[in-house]
Amino acid sequence: MTSFVEAGLVLAQTPGQEAVTAGEAAAFWVLGPLAVAGALGMVFVRNAVHSALWLVVTMLTLGVFYLIQNASFLGFTQIIVYTGAVMMLFLFVLMMAGKDSSDALVEALRGQRLAAAVFGVGFAVLLSAALVRSLRDTQFAPPLDPTSPEGGGAGGLGELIFTDYLFPFELTAALLIVAGLAGIVLAQRDKRDEGVKRSQRELVEARFRGEYERPSGRPGPGVFATGNSVATPALLPDGSIAEDSLSDLIESTPTARRVSPPGWMRALDSAEQAEGVHGDEGDGAGPSTTDDEGSER
Amino acid sequence: MFGAQVTALSPPSVDYTAMLPVLIVLGAAAVGVLLEAFVPRHLRWSVQVTVSLVALAGAGIALGAYVPGAPAQGVTTMVDTLAIDAPALFLWGTLLALSFVALLFIAERTVEPGGAFVSQAALRGAAGAGGSVSTREPETTGGRDGAAPADGARGMQTEIFPLTLFALGGMMTFVAANDLLTMFIALEVLSLPLYLMCGLARRRRLLSQESAVKYFLLGAFASAFFLYGLALLYGYAGSVRLGDIATAAAGSDRSDTLLFAGFGLLVVGLLFKGSVGPFHAWTPDVYQGAPTSVTGFMAACTKVAAFGAMLRVLYVGFEGVSWEWRGILWAVAIVSMAVGAVLGLTQRDVKRMIAYSSIAHAGFLVIGVMTLSDSGLAATMFYLLAYGFTTLAAFAVVSLVRDADGEATDLSSWAGLAKRSPLIAGVFTFLLLALAGIPLTSGFVGKFVVFSAALGEGLAPLVVLALVFSAVAAFYYLRVVVVMYFSEPAAGGASVTVPGAFTTVTIAAGTIVTLLLGIYPGFALEWAGAGGFAF
Repeated sequence: MTSFVEAGLVLAQTPGQEAVTAGEAAAFWVLGPLAVAGALGMVFVRNAVHSALWLVVTMLTLGVFYLIQNASFLGFTQIIVYTGAVMMLFLFVLMMAGKDSSDALVEALRGQRLAAAVFGVGFAVLLSAALVRSLRDTQFAPPLDPTSPEGGGAGGLGELIFTDYLFPFELTAALLIVAGLAGIVLAQRDKRDEGVKRSQRELVEARFRGEYERPSGRPGPGVFATGNSVATPALLPDGSIAEDSLSDLIESTPTARRVSPPGWMRALDSAEQAEGVHGDEGDGAGPSTTDDEGSER
Repeated sequence: MFGAQVTALSPPSVDYTAMLPVLIVLGAAAVGVLLEAFVPRHLRWSVQVTVSLVALAGAGIALGAYVPGAPAQGVTTMVDTLAIDAPALFLWGTLLALSFVALLFIAERTVEPGGAFVSQAALRGAAGAGGSVSTREPETTGGRDGAAPADGARGMQTEIFPLTLFALGGMMTFVAANDLLTMFIALEVLSLPLYLMCGLARRRRLLSQESAVKYFLLGAFASAFFLYGLALLYGYAGSVRLGDIATAAAGSDRSDTLLFAGFGLLVVGLLFKGSVGPFHAWTPDVYQGAPTSVTGFMAACTKVAAFGAMLRVLYVGFEGVSWEWRGILWAVAIVSMAVGAVLGLTQRDVKRMIAYSSIAHAGFLVIGVMTLSDSGLAATMFYLLAYGFTTLAAFAVVSLVRDADGEATDLSSWAGLAKRSPLIAGVFTFLLLALAGIPLTSGFVGKFVVFSAALGEGLAPLVVLALVFSAVAAFYYLRVVVVMYFSEPAAGGASVTVPGAFTTVTIAAGTIVTLLLGIYPGFALEWAGAGGFAF
């Protein structure tokens, strides 16, 4: 951004050009610091959302600069596309990711910050030097007519789009359709299973008709059990383990299988850890849930 | 401010008869999207399949009607953005034929209930079964997928058909694009549906989605390379037209840095799409993870499109400076053949093996592209046609060899396959021999014409290397044959599913074309050599 100011200074002082009008100079001196402030704010603010908003300030001021320079199409594109669409998308993502999550301020790579600073300053110097040189030593092109195809204005662009580049332009329609369709195909939930879900009454009747393994749900952890974890088997009145209440999922984990039933208390400790891993599968294979709704997830 | 200078624009002239095939394909794709919205679900599959196949057949007929009367030197239309010349017409024909067969393969839904593209792994068509059907998958730890009382036939996501047509439309535009901007947009139009289609194997969700993400990220990189190269070339020549770039390169004292940097970046993008040499990293993973029918479509058609575009870019835009880039492509061809042949040896998975085989074949194709002669052009395009049909049929066979977990692509489960189903084993053997380039197959003729064209242009060392690597690659093709014929069947190994009519047609068409082009290549070679590029 320092380079930008210097370039602006040079631009303002370039001899041989049309004199900069007072209004333009005023706009520059008002908006220039604003742009720099926005850029600095973006870098130094801790909160990611604030940082994005600072960037919006810089982009808006740049858009106004383009407008002042007679590049109205570029200016409006900057405001509409970058500030309006891209930055808002960026903000949405930030909000979705959680605006409270702040960056870790620990250096992951040793010397990264120093290196970044050195390279950043170096890049700024390089950029300023190139800009200064190009503004001092080059012949300025005559101002372009924004309505001609070569001028870069909206009129010229429109003419190109509807004549020379008509076919590529229309082909982008295919691209947009595919993008939309792709979003739907990837994100759409198939609701067909939900349509055929049985009501509770139908389910009960089906159970007693014998369509399922057993009429009731599986027994939960019994009153004699030491905990209410999924991994805790129910105990029968004689103190033995109710086999029905054992979870397939937990029983099939290697840790649970390695320890034989007599030592099931120890097995449960490891099984509970295993449950932490598998618990979020949420497939309802636990002892206290019925297993007939497995497909409902 | 702008209103003052309004002038009437003259609409560009459009040669509708010439570009009718592309218009039909893209139009049918758009219609397919609408059908998706308005046709009831139980009719969608049949309607979509009909519309897609009719569109492809219609495009083929339009092409066939146009070719005999087409001007020999070709035409450019849409203000020179499309060059419809002899190579473009041949490649269009190739693409349409390949996609027709591939589309049948994609539409298959009897080999597994509902086809490969079900919207949920649980929709398995186990209608009426109330008990717990164990459908445990290898990669998912999810417990029981209970029996979903869904009709398997309705499980398919029929969006796959318009997506395929869009990809095909992009490919057809890609090989006919006369300027780099059109080529770039066509590249995106062909890639975007493919990225998505790779991720649609919901029964092998993790592998499939990983492959889609990988392909998407690397493909986006490659597109960026292409675009950057395009920008540099525009800076050099002041135009994106291939012809203008050739003119600028021929006689100007402008900085060559822009030209060659732009060319390099552009070619990287193209080589990536063709899965050539050092830019092949995505190929094995994506070929393995994508649904097999999509892999077949991608392996056959993307290769045609990528090499078709590469031929046009090199022949039209950069023939004059071939001295400068030929050395680079030498290296690329050698790396590609070496990687494909040597790394292919270590593969245990049949799909990955064919992927490495495709990398080796891409190396052979680069040799054909490098010749920059008319015979080389015809030979390369013939090779594309031959390779496309062979590889498509090979993937169709792979989709039939299954065990309880679905497709059994591991080589060990193919042991003794010939004893269980001699026909399929025989067909696959024939296809592998075609990939290896044994006489009486199209693979032999393809290699022969490409190598003889290369010899004519003084690429003899490269041809010798190519022969060596062909021999190395033949080893792993023959290993599969040995495993199928001379190993004892493993207990619980794979068996061959009886294919539905669609897959049968795919395999039969691929095999017959492979045989026909091997015995009687004259017709295709003649058409491929019909003429050069227009620009």
